[in-house]
Order: sequence, then structure tokens, then C-alpha cells
Amino acid sequence: MTKYDVLILGGGPGGYVAAIKAAQLGAKVAVVEKERLGGVCLNWGCIPTKTLLKTAKLYKDIQRAESFGIVGIDKSSIKVDWQLLLKRKDKIVNQLVNGIYMLFKKNKIDLYEGKGTILNKNQIEVNGQILTGKNLIIAIGAGDSSPPIPGLDDLVKSGKTINSKGALQLEEIPKDLVIVGGGVIAVEFATLFKTLGSNITIIQRSGRILSGMESEMAATLEKHLKREGINILTSTKLISFSHQGVKIEHKGEEKLIKGDKYLVSLGVKPDLSQVKNLDLEIDEKGFIKTNNKMETSIKGVYAIGDLNGKYALAHVASAEGIVAAENIMGVESTLNYNIVPQCVYTFPELASVGLTEEVAKERGHDITVSKFPLAANGKALAEGESLGFIKLISDNQYGEILGVHIMAPHATDMIAEAVAAMQLEGTVYDLAKAIHPHPTLSEIVSEAAHGAIDKPIHI
Amino acid sequence: MKFEFRFPDIGEGIREGTLVKWLVNLGDTVEEGQSLAEVETDKVTTEIPSPRTGRVLELKFEEGDTIEVEDVFVVIETEGEGEEPVEVENQPVDEGSAGVVGEVVASSEVIPSSNEGLDTTPRVSHKKKVLATPVARKLAKDLGIDITSIVGTGPNGRVMKEDILKAKEELSKPVAKPKALVEKLDIQYPKEAIERIPLSRIRKTIAEQMVKSRFTIPHTTAMDEIDISKLVEFRNRYKDDLREEGISLSYLPFIIKAVIKALKEFPEFNSTYDEENDELVLKYFYHIGIATDTERGLMVPVLRDADKKSIVDLAKEIEDLTTRAKENKAELHELKGSTFSITNYGSIGGHFGIPIINYPESAILGVGRIVKKPIVKDDQIVIAYVLPLSLSYDHRIIDGASGARFLNLLKELLSNPDMLLLRS
Repeated sequence: MTKYDVLILGGGPGGYVAAIKAAQLGAKVAVVEKERLGGVCLNWGCIPTKTLLKTAKLYKDIQRAESFGIVGIDKSSIKVDWQLLLKRKDKIVNQLVNGIYMLFKKNKIDLYEGKGTILNKNQIEVNGQILTGKNLIIAIGAGDSSPPIPGLDDLVKSGKTINSKGALQLEEIPKDLVIVGGGVIAVEFATLFKTLGSNITIIQRSGRILSGMESEMAATLEKHLKREGINILTSTKLISFSHQGVKIEHKGEEKLIKGDKYLVSLGVKPDLSQVKNLDLEIDEKGFIKTNNKMETSIKGVYAIGDLNGKYALAHVASAEGIVAAENIMGVESTLNYNIVPQCVYTFPELASVGLTEEVAKERGHDITVSKFPLAANGKALAEGESLGFIKLISDNQYGEILGVHIMAPHATDMIAEAVAAMQLEGTVYDLAKAIHPHPTLSEIVSEAAHGAIDKPIHI
Repeated sequence: MKFEFRFPDIGEGIREGTLVKWLVNLGDTVEEGQSLAEVETDKVTTEIPSPRTGRVLELKFEEGDTIEVEDVFVVIETEGEGEEPVEVENQPVDEGSAGVVGEVVASSEVIPSSNEGLDTTPRVSHKKKVLATPVARKLAKDLGIDITSIVGTGPNGRVMKEDILKAKEELSKPVAKPKALVEKLDIQYPKEAIERIPLSRIRKTIAEQMVKSRFTIPHTTAMDEIDISKLVEFRNRYKDDLREEGISLSYLPFIIKAVIKALKEFPEFNSTYDEENDELVLKYFYHIGIATDTERGLMVPVLRDADKKSIVDLAKEIEDLTTRAKENKAELHELKGSTFSITNYGSIGGHFGIPIINYPESAILGVGRIVKKPIVKDDQIVIAYVLPLSLSYDHRIIDGASGARFLNLLKELLSNPDMLLLRS
């Protein structure tokens, strides 16, 4: 029976990338996956939601076609066919997932489909078969966190309460959608269904939406979403769920918020039943403890992705997968968690990397904050998208870039420049000196860099 | 117009000096090139000439003070045609020379050859392009760290900010001192029976160098006696003629010639062990350091490219260099950059010794006093001139057998001067 160099439990964006990297480095690899390769990211998360958001954006643009000089569209007759949209989504997802199966074949990775259980640090049982390997990577992700709120479990069972996966399986576009939670998933679904015609209420426990994102961007987006007609209730307390609605306390009063559907998105929590045979060190929040080489408390056992509690982001899982594979194959490798990009796919998009103003000050940096508005960018005006800005935080000693926050269309694409600059420990002088193509939205990056040194050119 | 003269950067690694004596007074008129002060650095005492003609307005330090590079040192009022009220004689070091000697205009006059010395010394590290982040480069420059000496931990070996900070930390750690010595100092001696003398800068440098060598390099020493009767005879034949030309021919040039032949044969004796990269840096140039006793302490003037010089040239140069070192007139660049050193304690007395390697070299030759001794030759006891040699070498990179072979070759060459001259 084959003895593998690396056993990987879970074939999501962490596990499958780790598998390919390890195979490329010469390892004999087995992956155990209980559903389809690609994990939440490809099947239920990143890619499906972006497909739906594309349609929403297109729909929105068509509605305002006249402002771009296009006439003759009968606004009352255009509508989004939800089922047709889901078909397009499935086609794209299938294409991508099949691509991973191909990559596995190409890299001679053995795939075992079924629910795997870890027996010990060298063995996984799947479908009655025992796989043996020298190293183990745990990459089983995390599920929804469901806090103990009365009535929540009953409502989930009845199908009235859904999670993000459920939202992609809806029969039709809901008329009144209540979203519990104010994180990235919540605002993206709010944007999607609002554009598609739903009435939306966001119930957020803390004082603002997107509590993990840069505060000025989050506040600007919150104002914008409200202007679009989304009802956002912040600083609320969840009391109970029932078929009548969600009972909350808001501004000192009890309120009942009603909807056809309730989308609950209150963070993630890993299900560690598959790894219970390993005596792994677990943190106080229930995630597997790892260091920046992805090593757990057991030698030869690595944990990557959502279940290590660092960032529940596909690109972090993939990066961690590569680090784990490299360390296993003798290439010393670590991950710098200070340079993790975070993206929000609203209209406009938000993207951040590095420190915010507040954190930079807390850490004792002497900083310069340079802001440049999208309204002063030619390409943005041509595109009819002028809401947003860039904020660049730099350290005054050498001008090192500490953080970049962009609110703009394609902000999620543009942030990559800042990530690369930060990976190279670049300075505002480097960014200002780099010639940015004209006309592009990316010019706001060099403008902000010039602003950090002296003054932006075009303001 | 006021001119602020900043203490110039006089060489790699030297960041400060002690003001020994002012040679001018406040209000004096000084000429360009006239000495302003005598400053002792860890290698030399040197006079700092004025870069301008004018009147001395301010002397910023007291005798005995420590002056750091770039401190404003003297303010001179010049009869200026310049527009700016304050002229500052100092330019920022440009990126290209980071980690090397900053070129300050004035400094090239002070110790003109400190740059020359560097230029003529092949430096392996300068040939490689260092992959480093912008912040790491700037930080290294500001902290005075040679970025070429850092091993980067970033992708593809890129030197990151963190690597520079770690290197700085390493550098600022005090040199390990033998524990026993430190403990001994706790003993209370009766005050009237002792005297405490602060170490001079030169003595401190010698101490640090010795500790660094002894605690880094595992030394081993091989010794042998060589019958040099033929060499004595050879020298006696020519020394008086040469003396008439003012050249005093000692045995040292012959020994240097033999050593160079041996270094060429066994290049690891002319090398440096690069611990960081686990590499042996073999040097194909032969700068021979001559350990010299001076009133201020041990100095090692260097005979550059000794392999390209004749025995007579070497004799002249040894005389000149050691005399100037003793008189404290040697220039900084003449006191560094050796690739192999020789310590001739025999000129004072002594037979064998265990010389300490001049870090970061890999070997040193100790030369004892030549004495007449009975030896056995062709089963007869005869009187011969015997030269005792002690060779210390870095045992990490040189095995005992090589040490013996090196000494054997010296023996062969020195016991037969014809062979020495034929083969070198």
C-alpha cells in the first residue's frame, strides 16, 4: 500500500493548493475531500457570489444607461431571471472545479472522495480504507458560527433562516430579506439582493458595519448603502428568533424585524470532530493553534485555512497551503500576516492591506496619512464611478508603506500593487516614482504617494 | 562667511576619535592645510588639517573629548564670496558607496590614502549585487551596517528590514570576555598599592582584536628549528655593500620571500574563513603584516603586494614602515589590509612563541631569535645558525598535516638561499 509523503484532509483553496505545491516539489500526495474540490470558495463562496454580483452590477448599469447616452431601454420590462443567473453561476463554478480535478491528474495527486477521519498523525481513514503518510495537513475549513440565541436553531431547521450557502439555493429573489450580521458576507449579499429588488434590513450588533475594515471606508459605505435604501440597524442586541421575526433591542426599545428570509452571517467556527483523535493545541475560540510556518503543536501536523483562526480568506488559505507544503518539503517558509489583503465586493469595492491609521498609531509609528479622492481621477469620471478614495498610511522615518485602503470600483484588483510594494518593504518614494499608466484608476495610488511626500499633483 | 568643519569620516569602521591636542587657538588665522588638531583614533594619531583659510571662530571640543564623525568640530570665518551664510562641508554618502567610506572632501586631504587603500584591496563582497528592500538599504546605511555582509531571510535571500535590525542587535552585543577575568576584578586591592589606568583607544582595539581572534579561531601552533647557516653566510656577503647604500638587510625579507612561496603553494594560509556563508575566501594577493612594537602598543604595518617586490625593496620598505609606525607617523591605510602576518619577537629575544592570528587572517608566523647551536649534521656535531619558527593557524580550515608541510617548505627554502632565490 502506498505510503504518502503528504496526506491532506480537505480540498478547498488551502488543501488543493497545498497538494499541488507539495506535488510540484516532488511529494507523493493524497487529498481526502468529502464534497467537491474547491471548497466553499469555489462552490459556495468567492466565485459564485462574484458571478451574481456581476449580474447585479450589469443590471444596475443598464438601468442608468441613459446617463451614458444609451436610450431605448424600457426599464419596466428589464428584470433579472434568478434561475438563469444561477445557471450561469453553476457553469462557471463547474468549469473552475473541473479545472482543479485536471490539475490533480496532471500533478499525479491521489484524490479520495469521502469523509475522512484522522486516526493519528500519520493515518486517515476514508471509506473504510486507511491512508498512511509522513506528514499531515489539516484543511477542513470552518462552518458557520451560531451563537446560542433562542429560536435560532428552530428557524434554521424550518428553512426560513439561511446561511450564505442557502442564499445561493433560494428558489427566488426574496421580497424582504433580513440580514443578521454586518460583516463582509452580509454587506455583499445586501448589495446583491438590494440591486435585484429586495428590501433589505441589516442587523448589526456592534456600532458599525464591517468592524474589521478601515473605519472611514466602512462609514462611507454605510452611508452609501443607506442612501441606496438599505435599512441598517447598528448597536443592536439579538434577543430571539421566531416565525414572526427577529426580536432585537435597538436604541433602548424592543423591535420585531420581519422578513421572508433571514440570512445569518455571524462568523465562522471549525468543526473539529474529524480531528478529535489528535491531541492538538486549540485556542480559546476553538481554532487549531499554528505558528507562521503552519506547524501545529504536533510535529509533522500542519493546519491551514479557516480552521487556524487567522483569517477566514481563501487567498490566505492558499498562501498557508504553499507555506505548509514548502516546510514539509524542506524549503524553509513563513507567512507574514501583516500583509494580508482584505476585499469587499460591494459597489464600489473596498480593499485594504496593512495597518489602519488607528493601529499604526497604537503601535507607536510616527505616520503620515495621505488621502486622495476618486472624484479627481479622470478614468473614474469616464466610468461614471466617482465615489471613493484611497488612504495611504506611511511611516515617517523612511516613508515605508504601512497600510493602503482603497474604496473604488476594481479596488480589489488595485490593492495588489500595494501588497507587492509592502512585500518589498517599499516606500512612498518608490510608489511615487513608479510611473502609473494614464488614464487608469491606479493613478490614485501614485497621487496618494506624492501626497505623502509633499502634495498630490492633481488636487 | 562662516564655515562649519565637520569631523571627517577617516575610514571604514572608524566612527570617532579622541581630541588629543588643539594646535590652534581661538581667533588664530589658519591657512588651508594647516593642522588644526591632533586626534587619536583606534588605529593612528593624526593631525587634522584645515580645509579652508580663515579665522578660527569656535573650537567645539575640549582636549580629551570624544568626537564623532560628522560632529561640527571647528568653525572658521572665511573671506567668502559665497552666497550662503553657513557653508557645510559635508555631503550625504551616496547610495553606491553605502557601507564603504563616505567620501568627504576634507577627509581626502586628512588621510588621503584611506580610500586608496580600499580601492586596491580586492573585496569579494563588493562584487555581488545585494538583493534588499528599500527600507532595509536605508536602515543599513543609517545604522552603519555593511549590507553586503548580511544574509537575507526574504524570498530569494532578499535582505529585509528585520535582518538589518537583527544584525544591529548582534553588533551591539558586548564582546564575550573570559568569565574568570571579570570575577578576579571584583577582588578589593588596597587602594594605595594599585593604580588604575584607563586604556588608550589603541589598547582597547588591540584587546578587542585579540579576544575576537582567540575566541573565534581555534588556534594551533607548529614549531620547527631551521639551520640557516648558508643564509647567514649569504647575507654576510652582501650586507655591508648594501649598508653603504643606506639599506640595512635583515633576515626578515628572506623570510617574507619564503613565506610568499609557501602561501602560493598552500593558499589556505592566505585566506579568510567566511563563517556566514560557509566559504573559504582565498586571496590571490599578498599583503604581509609586520607586527611591530611601538610605545603606544602593537601595530601591524602592511607590506602591500610583497610578492612583487625584491628582497632589497622589501628591506627598504620594512625599515621605512616600521620606523614610521614606531614614530606614530604611519597612515591609517598602511596599518590595515594584511592577508598574512609575521611577528618577529626574535628581534627582542625569545625562541618559540604561540602567536595569535591577526583576525580575520588564517595564519601567522612567529620568528624567534637566531642563535648558534650545536646540531647533528652527517653524524657530526657541528655549530650552526638556527632559526626557530612558530606557525599558528586556523585549525578549522587548516589541518595539522598542511601546517607541517608549510613549515617544511619554509625550511627547505630558508636552509638553502640559492633555492629560495631560484624558486621565488
